[in-house]
Amino acid sequence: MQAERAPSKPDVAGLMFQALAAITLGVFVYLIYFIFNHTPEAQEAAGGLAQKIFYFHVPAAYALYLAGVVCFIGSAAYLAKPTDARNALARAGAEVAVVFGMMVLVSGPLWAKKAWGVYWTWDPRLTTLLLSVLIYLAIAVQRGFSGDGEAERKFAAALGVLGTVTLPIVHYAVRKWGGNHPTVITGSGRGLGDQAMYHALGVGFLAMTLLALLLLWQRTRLEILEARARSAEERLLGAGMIEEL
Amino acid sequence: MNDDVKQPASGTLTPEDRATEFVPVVGGGESASAGSLLVWAYLLMWALLFGFVVTTWRRQHQVATRLDRIERALSKAGEGA
Repeated sequence: MQAERAPSKPDVAGLMFQALAAITLGVFVYLIYFIFNHTPEAQEAAGGLAQKIFYFHVPAAYALYLAGVVCFIGSAAYLAKPTDARNALARAGAEVAVVFGMMVLVSGPLWAKKAWGVYWTWDPRLTTLLLSVLIYLAIAVQRGFSGDGEAERKFAAALGVLGTVTLPIVHYAVRKWGGNHPTVITGSGRGLGDQAMYHALGVGFLAMTLLALLLLWQRTRLEILEARARSAEERLLGAGMIEEL
Repeated sequence: MNDDVKQPASGTLTPEDRATEFVPVVGGGESASAGSLLVWAYLLMWALLFGFVVTTWRRQHQVATRLDRIERALSKAGEGA
């Protein structure tokens, strides 16, 4: 006989997540439409069209910083006082940082091929960014393959703090050490030459912020659920109600 | 047009016209099209995102399976009590 369940409450968090997902999708559709229909071609030396990579490339780098900060907060909080929720936040931050970091590392070289004639050069910003993404990738791989013990969690948290400490170096590398990477909208940059370009960039930042929030939310919830399921399984195993994990 | 360059009568290349050496181009234009690089950049970024969403979905599915197993074990224990 099935146990009777209490009447379920409306899933407010689920509805909010779906609403956020719908808004994010709408913003992305508008962004792509605007980029291809209203922003002018720029950077003639790079063939004009390739510069449109900018409207996803820069916001993706910003979203990487955002996910890195979340990873840092979760990691530092976990090192101060370990809880499943803090561990979940740290791990989700690292995984989402890898996704945005890979977006930047894929889109940048394709643009560079046209602008600089090569896919990759050991420019200070490119090199420091690669280092940061590799640190987040190391966290994701370590958490995925080396179990979920206390030592593994603390090691990953320490890496999470280290990874985020490198992000300001990425940001200021172009000012401090120069290199090929352009500096258009920050520092000594002379800005964008058309109002539509600013609008597309602003919408790009909004779209990537919403996407980062969605992915962080979903991954954190998933990590917490996995930790609760593991804890319940261990208790059932201890009570002899299941035979193996 | 240089008359010294031999042109095949039929408009197709003959075995005598085949390349016999490769000399580096100096000052040539970039061959990769800006449009195709742009499309590749957008496609690869969306593919990365899609891959991440699929791994999330798979892990959610695994958690759901584990929760079902826990529920079954608890129901079985409840029936036995």
